[in-house]
Amino acid sequence: MQDLLYFSQQLINGLTIGSTYALIAIGYTMVYGIIGMINFAHGEIYMIGAYTALIAITGLATLGVAWLPLILLVALLCAIIVSSSMGWAVERVAYRPVRGRHRLIPLISAIGMSIFLQNYVHLAQGSRNIGFPALIDGSFRFGSSEGFQLSLSYMQITIFITTLICMIVLSLFISRSRIGRACRAVSQDLGMANLLGIDTNRIISATFIIGAALAAVAGLLLGMYYGSVDPLFGFIAGLKAFTAAVLGGIGSIPGAMLGGLILGVAESMTSGYLSGEYKDVVAFSLLILILLFKPTGLLGKPEVEKI
Amino acid sequence: MKTSVKKLALAVGASAALMAAGQAAAEIRIGIAGPMTGPVAQYGDMQFSGARMAIERINAAGGVMGEQLVGVEVDDVCDPKQAVTVANRLVNQGVQYVVGHLCSSSTQPASDIYEDEGILMITPASTSPEISQRGYELLFRTIGLDSMQGPVAGNYIVSQNPNRVAVIHDKQQYGEGIATAVRDTLRDAGVEVAMFEGITAGDKDFSSLVTKIKQANVDFVYYGGYHPELGLILRQARQADVSSKFMGPEGVGNKDINTIAGESAEGLLVTLPPSFDEKPENQDLVAAFEAKGEDTSGPFVLTSYAAVQLIADGIEQAGSQDPFEVAKALRAGTFETPIGTVQFDQAGDMESFEFVVYEWHSDGSKTSVN
Repeated sequence: MQDLLYFSQQLINGLTIGSTYALIAIGYTMVYGIIGMINFAHGEIYMIGAYTALIAITGLATLGVAWLPLILLVALLCAIIVSSSMGWAVERVAYRPVRGRHRLIPLISAIGMSIFLQNYVHLAQGSRNIGFPALIDGSFRFGSSEGFQLSLSYMQITIFITTLICMIVLSLFISRSRIGRACRAVSQDLGMANLLGIDTNRIISATFIIGAALAAVAGLLLGMYYGSVDPLFGFIAGLKAFTAAVLGGIGSIPGAMLGGLILGVAESMTSGYLSGEYKDVVAFSLLILILLFKPTGLLGKPEVEKI
Repeated sequence: MKTSVKKLALAVGASAALMAAGQAAAEIRIGIAGPMTGPVAQYGDMQFSGARMAIERINAAGGVMGEQLVGVEVDDVCDPKQAVTVANRLVNQGVQYVVGHLCSSSTQPASDIYEDEGILMITPASTSPEISQRGYELLFRTIGLDSMQGPVAGNYIVSQNPNRVAVIHDKQQYGEGIATAVRDTLRDAGVEVAMFEGITAGDKDFSSLVTKIKQANVDFVYYGGYHPELGLILRQARQADVSSKFMGPEGVGNKDINTIAGESAEGLLVTLPPSFDEKPENQDLVAAFEAKGEDTSGPFVLTSYAAVQLIADGIEQAGSQDPFEVAKALRAGTFETPIGTVQFDQAGDMESFEFVVYEWHSDGSKTSVN
């Protein structure tokens, strides 16, 4: 009985962290799907989202606002607005001027952007950890065995539900809306979409903005879940989300979701049953294995040789 | 054209004269190397504040052999690569004495450079035993060793008669070193160590680890490492109803752990050097810090003060500014400092250094438990 509870607890832990990987991974995968490049500044956008949310929460607290839904809504909106503008700016500054050049050039300019943003936050907010208030506290308890109790915190439920809503909205947006259709067209053939009258610049900007908005949501959620932010907050999370995107098949949105969940569960099971020291080893070995047998990732489409 | 050449020549001549004048003014340059930025910058603040105060007070009292001390401050970000860079910078600036570095992993590579270049170094904070095991002639420290701190923590845990203990560390030289010492002390005393596991510094998600601690049903958790990770572990553990007692080394004992862990920091046990700032003989000095609006409660403020003072006393006693002579004088003598009477052994470690177990509170204060 205790073994089952322990397993379920590790599964819940893994799914929680996995769904936030998925949220961040969407940003990588969408940008790759459309322009075939990796946005290495994406982890920093997520970190800035977390900081903005924290600033908004602190601001509201000093104004005396105590109604939780309002605080969360305002924090979420602020984070999304600031992160999206950052996402847009990154595209304008680091990608558009060098688009169409050798593939390495935008890669390097994105890494430069990432270092810049990280250090900017270091300077503006200081390098210390800043505590994030636990706004959603408490948890459900299930079955107890030999002193071990399964707990599912309200925060974890919030993370699941929010991620689910974001994914559904995103899928509907991509499959139903005009911009979504244009996104799909541009990802199939940028040049042709351009010829057919789609404003490809606008679509590429939109992709960066959507990815950044989802990263901001993840920033707020994880800031609250972990309880502290620092300027290096985005680095590891960005790396993991990028891995999740590649694992699921970069360019594929359902792939990013699946990749995130698999990575999260693999990590928590490794530290649960083996040792925390091997967590990253197992996660990345899994990546290598999958890429060996399926180079395009789990749900990635094989690239058709264009003649 | 001609006049401008003349003007230029004049300017060059004047600035050369100025530089010469600068060098002629007698001064002893002391490098102060520690993190000004990065995740453990708050420890660096303690170090810089203590060293600056010592330089100020020694200069006010007439300097050393009639010469003024000048601090040359550099930022190593607590990063071994950066530590090597700043160590070389200090060498190029002609510094002969260094107070630093802070993190053991920075002190180790930097000390190689100082030893080669004939620079005397006193670290006020690095506690890794390996640092002084290499037979260096110019290396000293004004802090105890992990090998002293680990047994203090281990013996305290043993005295609480726990059934099962978990020992966690951050896989870094400092954290793993202390954690290993604690584990060995526990094993020797026959206490069951149910878990001995490393985490990755910089990680945020410890839910799996916390679940494991919960299942292992331990009553004591020892963590070797720094506050950013322990803060998160504490917070996530309390949220998951883990009621075990937590304990850590002085690397977790600062107010930032309260920002991260909040209420969960209540009751955390920390081994720290005794509060030198509470000693009656140091009250003048504490007042001087307070007059500048600086806090003396950090573990490295007065150890850094003592490091600067020891350099000054060493020079006076050797009657020479040659670092090798000063090192000999330091090994031979006994010195009165704010951290007590200091006597060095051959390795450059203090003959005795005491660690005390404190209980940490959620408002950032601490009370001694033994």
